[in-house]
Amino acid sequence: MMKIKHTIILFSAFIILFNSCSEDEILISDPFVVAFESLSKNLMDIENETSIDLVYSEMALENGSVSIQIKSENAIYGQDFKTVPEAIGNIITLPILNGELQNAITFLKLNANLFETTNIEFGITSIDYINSNIQGYSNFLINSSAARGTSIQVEVGGPNQGNQVFVDLSMQTTSFAKRDSWDLGFYNGNDFRVAINGSIYMATKALDVYNINEVTETSVESLKTEVAVGTFNPDNVAYIDAPNGNILETAIAEISDNDNENPVYLVNLGYEVGTSTPTIGSAAIAGNHRGWKKIRILKDGDNYVLQYANLDDTTYQEKTITKNTNYNFNHFSFNSNSLVNIEPEKEKWDISFTVFTNFIDGAGSYGFSDYVTQNRKANTQTYQVDTSAFDYDDFSLDNVNASNFSLDQTTIGSNWRDVFSRSTFSDRFYILKDPNGNIYKIKFLAITNDNGERGYPEFEYKLLQ
Amino acid sequence: MILNKNYFFIYFSILFSCLIFSQETTKDSLTVERLEQVIITGQYNLQSVNKSVFEVKVINRKEIENRAVNNLADLLNQSLNINITPNTSTGKSGVSLFGLDAQYFKILIDNIPVINEEGVGNNVDLTLINLDDVQQIEIIEGAMGVQYGANAISGVINIITKKSSKYKTQINAFVQEETVGTEYEWFDKGRHIQSLKVGHNFTNEIYGTVSYLRNDFAGFWDNKQGKVYDIDDGLRGHVWLPKAQQNIKILLNHKKGKHNVFYKFDYLNERINRYDTIVDLNHNSSTDTNDPLGSDRLFKNNRFIHHLNATGYLGVQVRYNVSASYQEQTKDLETYTYRIRKDEKTNIEESEYLSRRAFLSRGTFSNLIYTNKFNLQAGYELTNESGFGSPLAITVSPDDENTVKQRLDSYDVFASSEITISDKLSLRPGVRVSFTNLFENQYAFSLSSKFNLKNNWQLKGVVGSANRTPNYNELYSRLVDINHNVQGNPNLNPEQGFSAFVHLKKKYTLANDKIKAKSRISGSYINVKNRIELIIVNISPREDKYNNIDTYKSFGVFSENAFQYNQFRFQLGASLLGISKVLNSETNSEDDFLLNFQLNSNINYTIPNWNTTFALNFKHVGKEQQFVQKTNEEGNQEFQRGVTDAFSWFDLTLRKTFLDKRIETSIGIRNLLDVTSVNTTAFSGGAHNGPPTNLLLGYGRSYFLKLTYNLNL
Repeated sequence: MMKIKHTIILFSAFIILFNSCSEDEILISDPFVVAFESLSKNLMDIENETSIDLVYSEMALENGSVSIQIKSENAIYGQDFKTVPEAIGNIITLPILNGELQNAITFLKLNANLFETTNIEFGITSIDYINSNIQGYSNFLINSSAARGTSIQVEVGGPNQGNQVFVDLSMQTTSFAKRDSWDLGFYNGNDFRVAINGSIYMATKALDVYNINEVTETSVESLKTEVAVGTFNPDNVAYIDAPNGNILETAIAEISDNDNENPVYLVNLGYEVGTSTPTIGSAAIAGNHRGWKKIRILKDGDNYVLQYANLDDTTYQEKTITKNTNYNFNHFSFNSNSLVNIEPEKEKWDISFTVFTNFIDGAGSYGFSDYVTQNRKANTQTYQVDTSAFDYDDFSLDNVNASNFSLDQTTIGSNWRDVFSRSTFSDRFYILKDPNGNIYKIKFLAITNDNGERGYPEFEYKLLQ
Repeated sequence: MILNKNYFFIYFSILFSCLIFSQETTKDSLTVERLEQVIITGQYNLQSVNKSVFEVKVINRKEIENRAVNNLADLLNQSLNINITPNTSTGKSGVSLFGLDAQYFKILIDNIPVINEEGVGNNVDLTLINLDDVQQIEIIEGAMGVQYGANAISGVINIITKKSSKYKTQINAFVQEETVGTEYEWFDKGRHIQSLKVGHNFTNEIYGTVSYLRNDFAGFWDNKQGKVYDIDDGLRGHVWLPKAQQNIKILLNHKKGKHNVFYKFDYLNERINRYDTIVDLNHNSSTDTNDPLGSDRLFKNNRFIHHLNATGYLGVQVRYNVSASYQEQTKDLETYTYRIRKDEKTNIEESEYLSRRAFLSRGTFSNLIYTNKFNLQAGYELTNESGFGSPLAITVSPDDENTVKQRLDSYDVFASSEITISDKLSLRPGVRVSFTNLFENQYAFSLSSKFNLKNNWQLKGVVGSANRTPNYNELYSRLVDINHNVQGNPNLNPEQGFSAFVHLKKKYTLANDKIKAKSRISGSYINVKNRIELIIVNISPREDKYNNIDTYKSFGVFSENAFQYNQFRFQLGASLLGISKVLNSETNSEDDFLLNFQLNSNINYTIPNWNTTFALNFKHVGKEQQFVQKTNEEGNQEFQRGVTDAFSWFDLTLRKTFLDKRIETSIGIRNLLDVTSVNTTAFSGGAHNGPPTNLLLGYGRSYFLKLTYNLNL
């Protein structure tokens, strides 16, 4: 019996040992930071007042305060501008309240005609909070220069990616249009070119027919499987606009002065924006097929003349489209039979987030989600930098290599993200020169939101000075 | 507390040496089992191995204990013709028998197929089969469609559990601590197993057991950093996913006269944690701070098995064996965002991932006609099976209804007879018809024969057929978007398997009857027709669809030999298998036979006065070739011979009992040759990434200690 007792003791010792403490590893968190949400605001965008937003790095768990110093050139506090809360001795003190994530200063413009040389700087000088640090966007400028930078979560529209979003970095503005709200883009530059909407996977092929009424459903039936995106036939790149964005390489040939040289085109209208909810992390881009049209485009002096009809129609509609040089394109919609507003004015955007028709060598045209193009028509240029060569934070204007700039609008393209891991590549960032010559560095932060849902890309950018 | 490797060894050795030196000098209590092994699988009556017309390979309890293995995957990786490859990214274990994967053979527990989230009997994850209540494991190679129905093409593995005890009360508890390679800590590293089993004879007629087992595998970390790691350098998570299993089993056995009834309950819970390798730094540009996030997954597997069985005699001769079983396995997926630094789970979403439920009943009636020359068995088997797959688990279009449900009802009847033509020759023809709701009527045939030749030679020939039912993906998957058009095919037919095996056996003695020996040499042929493969049905626009198109063939020759000299046992086996795959689904494919050589051996030696057994197990898997589609220098697709390098498993264990077997310890080394992965060129790259260049097989040399306490009252 002694032996049994022995073993029981041994056994219990073993089990007690086994169930003893487990040591949890603890990771060190970043300090508590209060910072400006962005780096600057343009004076011209402020009518009477504006809010200067401050964010906390995490929810405040106690009360504290932050001090912000104002330095102004060519503007006088109390005379040209003031703030709420009021600055005392050029210092604003803002409370940090338990449970809050942000705070704001209201900037009031008292002098409607502030000078172009006016520069008002808000700088965080101290944060009274446990384990805090001053870092990130710790100062904020109000002046008349190009935006210094911020981070933007782009409203692509979630997993269906229903929007084309246009971002102007220097103005710090975004605008968007629904992807399937337009079909054709009539180029407003010198060339007479017409683009198709690659964001809904349109495709088009010239027919050997010069009378639009001659084309019928049956006469093009055999072409339908061919004139499409993603057919894995390398030759199908002829039916899409060149992904590089060169206006001289559109699927539809240059519109000729001679009507006899402008054939009828069979147009695959692509797909509506998807409506289904895919599994988390996936995208559901394409909805129902939008059908087919036959079109013929002619020239009337400096105007385009668009003839279009459904395949079996024996008559057609005709629209004359006049060039508007403020924009890259006049966008036309078959659904509304009219021009629609899609892009901002041609020099008022730099990059666009959109679904895109690209091509893969050997496999032909291929649809891409989460794509980023640049405003090639207004001369926006970009190039990619590997972090092995330069650190993003350290990269300055001196490091810019002008010979690397490329007009190819696929330069950023899909290279910024890895769809399989639903993450951004952290080993690269981009340099962009906008139509006004401002040079920015751009780093992509996310392809999904915090829930892991696709279609919520986020990036930050900074002006190189 | 965390023990480092050195402390761990010191601890182990102290514990072990204490036990060694505390031994008493008791008399040899080991009674060498000389009784002929009795087998059950496919037999009309309990039958000795030698009398069976089938060739049945048996792994008995002692071998399981000698190796201190706890699940079927770990046990079978030393067997010839079976290859176990862990799937490190799902935590499941992949297995192939004669080069055919787990869809082609069936795992049975007490003659009843065991459920898995992807199949009934087939597709079983061998790591989910615990061996704590196993009496013996019977392996039959070759198609067993008549006896065991669909999917028993390359073979059947039947696990026979213990259902009685000679003691009034039996308490058995053990703890087992294993290192995973060199990794070991009390909680976060290594493998920790605890088990408690209580058996009791309530009356002479009623016996019951309750057992609990917990098997906590903390994963293989290698250079990875686990869950609490906030740097995005690809090191978060584990190389092999950690998983924890808990298994409760209850048995009630009632025996009265000619009848025996048992009810068995088995509940298994498994949790597999997948911590995302990618750390989303969640950078806040404004504050220049990070709040790193991981998109983590927790798979929760719950399996219930109820099995009610009755055996006995109707009248004087007809032996019945009827089982009814309800089983279900549900795999749920919990996805969540883990705020790594705050140890906080957010966005928790739970959903059913894969599940399967089945009601099964199987009955055999033997000796329906029973004469010296002729014995007839008839049986039925019915399976009502329903399965579910979520879009996360299988590819379905998001526009479809969000789930795929499948029902498969099959009603089978089968009959076979044993015809004794002379005392030398007996034959056993059999046939099965299966009526199902999804497919046309399926038939299976078998013909086995046994010749007893002179001088203890025995020749067995076994031919049989069986079909494989198409799986979920093959029937119902759907991936249609702008760039893809891949579709399942509800009109698929089951694949047709056929096998022929020849076994020549002899029992003999050597060295003046001092060495007892058994040798067997076998030849195998397996053919699977109408294999299902995804093929391009339209070039432009491209459409892919599953179709019955390919053929698989294998020829094998293998030999197994066992020798016993006093307390010394030695076993040696070798096999050479040639596999040819005719891929009509691909152009320019190659169908040459590709050879694979395997060798296995084990040595057991028992020192009687020490109550100590040494066991050494070795298996060598030769270089394996496989045709893979690759792009050649001219940029064209062609089939090339990909090669997976050879590797060997080598385990060493030492088992010792104390205090009249009340205490038992095992200590051992697994994977002595420290194999982790082998180089391979046998994979083709995916559409979006290159091929893997090595195949993970193990986690390196590991050590274990098992302490068992047995109390028999």
